[in-house]
Amino acid sequence: MRSRSRKSRWVLPATAVSVIALVAAGCGGSDDESSDSSGGSGGGGGDGAPGATEESGVKLGVLGECEGPFGGFHEDTVAGVALALSNLAGAKVESKTSALDGWTGATVNGTPIELVGIGCGDDTADTISEEIRQLVEQEGANIVIGPLSGDEGIAVAEYAKANPELTVLSGIAGSQEPTLQVQAPNFFRFHGDGAIWNAGMGDILHNEEGWDTVAVIADDYSFGHTSAAGFIADFCGVGGDVTTRVFPPLGTTDYSSYIQQLPNPDEVDGYFWAVGGTGTQAALEAFVNAKGDLTGDQHAGNLFFNPDLAQALGTDIAGAYVGGFAVLPGDVQTPEIQQYLASADKTWNTLASGITGGEPGPPSAAAGFGFMYGYYSAGVALVEALEETGGDPSPDALQPALAELELDLPYGPISLDENRSGIVDVGLSQLVEKDGEIVQEAVAIIPEVDQTFGGTFSTDTPPPSRDFPPCEEADLPWVGNAIPVVDGKPQE
Amino acid sequence: MAPDATAAGGIDGGDTSSVVQLSSVTMAFGGLLALGGVDLDVAQGQRLAILGPNGAGKTTLFNVVAGDLVPTQGSVVIKGVDCTRLPSRHRPRLGVARTYQKARSFPGLTVADNLYLALVGRRGRHMSLLWPGRVGRDLRDRARAAASAVWLEDRIGMRVSDLSHGQKRQLEIGMALATDPDVLLLDEPASGLSRGERERLTELLEQLPAHTTLLLIEHDMDVAFQVGRRVVVMADGLVVASGSPEEVQANSLVHEIYLGSEAHT
Amino acid sequence: MISRRSLTRTNAVVAAVVVLLLVLPAFGSDFFVRFIMTQTLILGLMAATIVFLTAYGGMISLAQLLLAGVAGFMFGNAALSEGARGLNLGLSPWVAVVFALAVTTVVAFLLGALASRTTGIYFLMLTLVYGVIGYTVFAQVVTISGPSGITSIVAPEPFTEPVNLYYAALVLSVLAYIAFRAIGRTNFGLAMQGVRDDPIRMSSLGFNVALHRTLAFTLGGLVAGVAGLLNVWWRKQIDPASINIGPTLAILIIAVIGGISYFEGAWLGALVYVLLNTYTKSIPLIDQIGLTPDRFNTVIGLMVLLIMVLSPEGLAGILERLSRGRGLGKPTQHSVEPPTTSTSPVRTGPGGLQ
Ligand SMILES: Nc1ncnc2c1ncn2[C@@H]1O[C@H](COP(=O)(O)OP(=O)(O)OP(=O)(O)O)[C@@H](O)[C@H]1O
Ligand SMILES: [Mg+2]
Repeated sequence: MRSRSRKSRWVLPATAVSVIALVAAGCGGSDDESSDSSGGSGGGGGDGAPGATEESGVKLGVLGECEGPFGGFHEDTVAGVALALSNLAGAKVESKTSALDGWTGATVNGTPIELVGIGCGDDTADTISEEIRQLVEQEGANIVIGPLSGDEGIAVAEYAKANPELTVLSGIAGSQEPTLQVQAPNFFRFHGDGAIWNAGMGDILHNEEGWDTVAVIADDYSFGHTSAAGFIADFCGVGGDVTTRVFPPLGTTDYSSYIQQLPNPDEVDGYFWAVGGTGTQAALEAFVNAKGDLTGDQHAGNLFFNPDLAQALGTDIAGAYVGGFAVLPGDVQTPEIQQYLASADKTWNTLASGITGGEPGPPSAAAGFGFMYGYYSAGVALVEALEETGGDPSPDALQPALAELELDLPYGPISLDENRSGIVDVGLSQLVEKDGEIVQEAVAIIPEVDQTFGGTFSTDTPPPSRDFPPCEEADLPWVGNAIPVVDGKPQE
Repeated sequence: MAPDATAAGGIDGGDTSSVVQLSSVTMAFGGLLALGGVDLDVAQGQRLAILGPNGAGKTTLFNVVAGDLVPTQGSVVIKGVDCTRLPSRHRPRLGVARTYQKARSFPGLTVADNLYLALVGRRGRHMSLLWPGRVGRDLRDRARAAASAVWLEDRIGMRVSDLSHGQKRQLEIGMALATDPDVLLLDEPASGLSRGERERLTELLEQLPAHTTLLLIEHDMDVAFQVGRRVVVMADGLVVASGSPEEVQANSLVHEIYLGSEAHT
Repeated sequence: MISRRSLTRTNAVVAAVVVLLLVLPAFGSDFFVRFIMTQTLILGLMAATIVFLTAYGGMISLAQLLLAGVAGFMFGNAALSEGARGLNLGLSPWVAVVFALAVTTVVAFLLGALASRTTGIYFLMLTLVYGVIGYTVFAQVVTISGPSGITSIVAPEPFTEPVNLYYAALVLSVLAYIAFRAIGRTNFGLAMQGVRDDPIRMSSLGFNVALHRTLAFTLGGLVAGVAGLLNVWWRKQIDPASINIGPTLAILIIAVIGGISYFEGAWLGALVYVLLNTYTKSIPLIDQIGLTPDRFNTVIGLMVLLIMVLSPEGLAGILERLSRGRGLGKPTQHSVEPPTTSTSPVRTGPGGLQ
């Protein structure tokens, strides 16, 4: 009895110790790809430097979004990258119905592009940080495409800054800070930001529609602030005045008290809305209840202002201007766009995209929406930069090449500013009535919009907030350069 | 042992040696009047047995004295301090210790820890984050002695949840006795004990130090009349009789409302 | 007294694991040490404060992540000198540490005092409300955070080096583990357990029950604050979503799967949680059974369920029973040792949730 318990006394500690040891070994060191890097590095080796070496090609990690408010767009993120590699680098997708299964055979100048992992974001900075660490430190990714949302973008740019061996191409993260403030030299963004996507609207509303005063209502979080900031910078830049700013918290269900804070329709020339999600309709309904009918000539909104609203709110909303979101409205059909959309339909039979509610739908529907297009742009940028370097993915070669790229993408050209953020064309549209239905039609393309808005935003200014930017006139480079779009055809 | 002479005089109150003084205490639970104006004066060293049928208000009286309840009206004075609205946690400092009718010890702790906590409650540093030092060891010794006093010395390391019902009652009494209280309130300590245990309990109570004032609620007549030097009978929230054990036993009213119908002793 | 405790089996296991963790960086991969284990130790430390409050005090708190967050936000506000958001006080890092912990302690004291008269499910709900309010405050009050939180947080030297941060988390975890267990034998800790079992009795014994609960909550909050500092040093940022309901529940889940009445369980639960969180989606063929990454929360949910069914006392309870089943634990003898120092650690008594 005694001797038995003596002996078995050590069974538990021994088991525990060996389990941890096994897990420790199994989860890292013995991983074949990363073993070369962890070889002699032991405790030192800086801040978790990426594992893969240059010779082994591109080990690509994609930061997707499988949970949270944009969780439906997980498929879209990877699909964007896969489509770029399929169109330009000879990749063969593994599945005709899902991009998440990855691809084979992607090479640029003989350099293979291997998908080592797909991160699963949930719209929070904490999660995306964990995901990128896993992609880089565990899976050995040396290049990462993503993330999708604004706050994630800040966290990923911070991570990039601390890991110079890594190269990151933003997916479609629309906050200003990743490029304007964080300024990681290895973080590249081939798309616009939430402010950029409303550029040019102030010009049209003030100079063409005759609005002098406007009230702004936007979600009280970073994207709402940024989106409103773009409009304010633009509208005030051309001489308009923002008389009221109201910021209801995200997730508000009863907007009546916030609507009360807005001036009455006879006190301002118009209203700008940047209220998203389920709030868009709830807020507009509260407006109808408190202030009377919505009329298209007095309302404008960011990308959340979509034709579906008319179903609940009536067709009076026709005439309202709507901001852009990476792509151009569906009625604009250039040969490049048609070719791009067709390539998506050729690559997959169906995709369960967020734009089709997570159900299998036409891949071109996903490709024509900003989320997938942002990731597609990043994928194109990666391929073209690798062509410049002769297939060399090392940071020293690749990053300068990326910074110099001038992409000719289906929805317009994109180059980078000195902070490696996209200078892009913004497509503005209008809700119009057609046969009793409200549809969205392009009205103008604002060319070459950059994130500074003629100096309103800079590395020295705070991020957009409830009271930033102030309403001030500025020299906006794109004023007067808007390219009108008539019947879906840009008028050069 | 106890000065029997004060018994009669105590009822009408007024003398300075009284330790517990209740004046027209009423306690209403909604519409129910559990105490209907009780006056009670207990002199120091008194051994008072409180009798009464179920629901008479005995436990409620204890709860008022011990501070677990604030009376609806009337006042409670203990050792000259007006305690009417003073929460129960201030009682131990006045030397008051009590047991509950249904044992309330700490099931997750050992016998030793229960007794130790009773001692810390009165004399220790409640918030000390240090391991017990000299004072603590002293209290531990006293806890061990208190365990012996209630015949639990060989159960001292046991978790209370593993004790038998009788042992829990013993512990309950031990926790009250451990602090060497000046005023000891025991609510039916003999219930649930075997005959032998009751005899030992009676013995223990008879050996209480002279300065200890005892208020004893007890249905067991043998225990009550043997320990009590003065007896108070309650019914329907009122004191209906009071006097020496002999006087009370002879009281016909008491017989009628209580003793006569007593079947469940 | 320490020497008497040191030979028990639990202690032997814990000591062996600690030794292993001390040498782990020599042979474990960087990712395992810096990501998996550092995160495990930090989350374990947070969860241990839940165990502390629950096992000793019968108070299941959902506010521990909030208090960790308060420390994190305050450190960020105090230590940064130029940032996009926050107060940017620009204090030296160690002054910022003191500042952060002081604010956390005060907040914990106030919240604890407010909750000190509630128990059981009401306490749980109240602390949940704290969490929700805390989230809203940090999301709304732009002077201290705002929606995007505080970024670019840098740990004080030498904890910018990930391995050193790992050791900091390890050492603090070990200290907290020892301290929490030792507190169980102090007057304060015994009184907490008394309050857990029967607050009315404690009051009649002379204890100030409300104050005791408040101070216990404060102490738990202080340790949660320490974990919160490690957390922001590790994550380098904090925002309101970091203390939202999801991660708040995660901490409770960690404590529960580990075994809410075992201090070891907190770290054990954290390890299981982090491993699941990290590896579930990369298990081969996992999508074949319908578990796409977006549903791997389901896996964690199923694990919790499974563990709860197997043992309400969590993984630590399972381990303890396994070792008993092998004849290790002779039925507990009537030793002079109180239960906390014998093989079975603290457990909630029946009064734990009253
Ligand atoms: N907290 C309470 N709320 C409502 N009613 C109460 C409460 N405590 C006691 N009562 C009622 O007050 C009356 C007196 O109760 P008490 O417990 O004082 O009687 P008792 O004399 O101790 O009886 P027993 O011999 O059964 O212990 C009873 O009718 C009881 O139901
Ligand atoms: Mg009673």
